[in-house]
Amino acid sequence: MAGYSFTRRRAILLLSLTSVILITMDLRGSSIVNFARSSFGVVFRPIESASRVLTRPIQNTWHGITHYNSVVDENRRLKDLVAYNEGATISAIASVREAQELLALNGLPTLAGISSCTAQVVGSSPSNYSQTVEINRGTECGIKVGMPVLNAAGMIGKVTDVYKKRSVVMLMTDPGYSLAVKVVNAPPTTTTTVVGEGTSDSSSTTSTSTTTTTIKVTTTTGIPGFTPGATIAPTVTTVSPTGVTSPPGSVGPNKPGQSTKSPITVPAGIDLPLKETGALEGRGLSKAPVVRFVENQVRFGDVKVGSPVISAGGATSLAPPDVVIGTISRVIKRTGTLGPLLEVELAADFDYLNFVRVLLYQPSTERPVQP
Amino acid sequence: MMNQLIFIIENRYTRLVLVGLMFLSLQTTLFNEMRPFGVCLQVMLLLAASSGLATGSQTGAIAGFIVGLLYDMVLATPLGLCAAVFAIVGYLAGFAHSFVHESTWWSRMLTASIVSAVGMILLPIGFTITGTENVLTLNVLTVALVVALFNAVFSWPVEFVCRWALREPSAAR
Repeated sequence: MAGYSFTRRRAILLLSLTSVILITMDLRGSSIVNFARSSFGVVFRPIESASRVLTRPIQNTWHGITHYNSVVDENRRLKDLVAYNEGATISAIASVREAQELLALNGLPTLAGISSCTAQVVGSSPSNYSQTVEINRGTECGIKVGMPVLNAAGMIGKVTDVYKKRSVVMLMTDPGYSLAVKVVNAPPTTTTTVVGEGTSDSSSTTSTSTTTTTIKVTTTTGIPGFTPGATIAPTVTTVSPTGVTSPPGSVGPNKPGQSTKSPITVPAGIDLPLKETGALEGRGLSKAPVVRFVENQVRFGDVKVGSPVISAGGATSLAPPDVVIGTISRVIKRTGTLGPLLEVELAADFDYLNFVRVLLYQPSTERPVQP
Repeated sequence: MMNQLIFIIENRYTRLVLVGLMFLSLQTTLFNEMRPFGVCLQVMLLLAASSGLATGSQTGAIAGFIVGLLYDMVLATPLGLCAAVFAIVGYLAGFAHSFVHESTWWSRMLTASIVSAVGMILLPIGFTITGTENVLTLNVLTVALVVALFNAVFSWPVEFVCRWALREPSAAR
């Protein structure tokens, strides 16, 4: 009995020690651990592929039972979305092209100038506590650890492990994920009631007046046909029967004692979207990621639900600027100087990841120094 | 040389590794897709628990360690963490069941269920210790409950497989 107990204790001690050593080696980024994982992958992939083929009918049956209604609803919704997006896409393409042209003219980096590698998602993490997917491209495609991964909708995560022909991508919902982002808030607008002509001069003849609403176009660059959307400001021009046109942006001279209730919307300052940076953090599969450290600035105003969230970029950021991440779905206000906590609805649907694009982007701090 | 090779092939832990690879392929394909209540069922944890039930605490701990190590190879979590947790689960399964006077099918199911739940709670604790944040949430309880139920239902056939894989070479002949 004593010998048996000794053997058992020794076994438990050995197992514990081995676990601690392995965890320490992995956390310190040991190349032996990476090699072991890579080698295991080579052996295990064929078995997994065979298993995937054999179990596909069972998977399809399961999905047929559990997801039939949602797929039908999704299909209906997508048809509506396709119809809605067809028109929007054309104008969006034009806007993106113009924006890239403008950025290029100013010598600023654009996404179009970054090489990318298209890959397919071949598997996801079987764990309940980490959100990763595996893609079928690796170092042979130029992928390195830390590179951002996108799909058609927007950012989905970053590369955390790279092997020769496969890579592991940590999704943005993973609790370990963090990224500097910008929240683009709509500019605050104020509605002002301007006292204008309340009663016109009495006249026995019937006069005809025409009121036209025109869009004032401000061209700020020399790009032919380029009209930045942010500078569009609606103005009202009133043409009187006598042919006198009041100046754009005004509704007539103020006259004391005369009142009118013609509300016009006056943009506060320059009508440009305001941006504020913060840090996006994943919170697991069941919770939406949040943006922290957004300052409570008066100029920035209250963050509105639906405001877009894009990557901030910067010298140390692992993602280039202006990659779409999602929209604000909930604003949790906090007291003091903490600033609001913003829940983000991600643009990409992580349930249906298929083809993704790895941006072969490295921040300036990560690039090798030229001799 | 040949004798050594035969010894390795006949070794019960070699059989366990082969069975573990099959279970791992099911884990990463079938059970990764089938997620009742949004929970990924843990068939590898079931294998560790069933090893303990089939062969006792000591062999269960070693078998659990091997199974956990195989699982660690495909996860992005620190290598050795699942191995440690699954070793505890294998040990606990064998140890807890050693107190049962006359083992019945339902006592085995209950043991497999409880140790699976313990394992699913220990895992996020381990992740937190190794530096992962926001893992220890109330969602852990849901995960533990669903995994425990599933493992209780499938404990009998998996235990049968473990008993076959972990029998002594002499008994195999």
